[in-house]
Amino acid sequence: MEILWAVLILLGLGLLLGLGLAIAAKILHVKEDERIEEVAKKLPNYNCGSCGYAGCKAMAEAIVTGKEENLKKCKPGKEDANFQPIIDYLDKHPNEDGSKVKVHL
Amino acid sequence: MMKILVTFVLAIISSMLIDNVVLSRFYGICPFLGVSKKVKSSLGMGLAVVFVIMLATLICWPLYQLLQLAGIAFMDTVAYILVIASLVQLVGLFIKKYSPTLYKNLGIYLPLITTNCAVLGVVQSNTDQALTFLDSIANALGTSIGFLIVIVLFSCIRVRLESANTPKAFKGLPIALIVAAIMALAFMGLQGLFSGINL
Repeated sequence: MEILWAVLILLGLGLLLGLGLAIAAKILHVKEDERIEEVAKKLPNYNCGSCGYAGCKAMAEAIVTGKEENLKKCKPGKEDANFQPIIDYLDKHPNEDGSKVKVHL
Repeated sequence: MMKILVTFVLAIISSMLIDNVVLSRFYGICPFLGVSKKVKSSLGMGLAVVFVIMLATLICWPLYQLLQLAGIAFMDTVAYILVIASLVQLVGLFIKKYSPTLYKNLGIYLPLITTNCAVLGVVQSNTDQALTFLDSIANALGTSIGFLIVIVLFSCIRVRLESANTPKAFKGLPIALIVAAIMALAFMGLQGLFSGINL
């Protein structure tokens, strides 16, 4: 009987908190350029910091916002595995005003 | 009424200064050393911890009564961790929305409030000492503000240490640890603060 209560109460608690968080995430949603996420996925994701940024996410943000053009700054990245997919992706997904994100090797 | 108020305030001061979480109970050392390089981010960290501890106490006290009622008081720690983890997620979302700079400065230490033992420590000690609701709040308030004060003081000292002429071997963390030890010694001096007060 105790075990049943334990399962039920914790399940209810988890459900309640999860629901609360889901609502909070909707309300507190921060609009972010989805290209940043995509570019970050294509980087090696070692978060080594040798590019000079705080991590792969930070470098992806710099690339998409146009602050960083040189992909080679990412030391562990491979040309065919990381850089070429990023260049292709950014070629297909231009900025809102139609201009392309400038990147090179 | 007056007596309740006085005990309340004394309980806050006692858990804030005399039994300081960081310097005499040695909880929450990880953010204490990790996020104390800048005054601003340490203030943000301290406030986030105050918020999480207060809310966790407010939720966990009634929750424990419910668990007791159902006869499953042994599940307390698990339930507390569930509550704390969700609260930290909430704080994370909140800070990300309203202060992206602070979000960046806190970095990995923000989700790590979940594992900040000060938070679970407060809630668990409320349960273990079977404190009343009011006493729990006093304990939570005192402990969390104590954390805030100490981490901000420590970051102020560390900012000055950056430009101080310390021997090369002591630069950075070693001298910070020595400073923390001296601060702990200084806080021990507050031990007899209430010895003359009879209630």
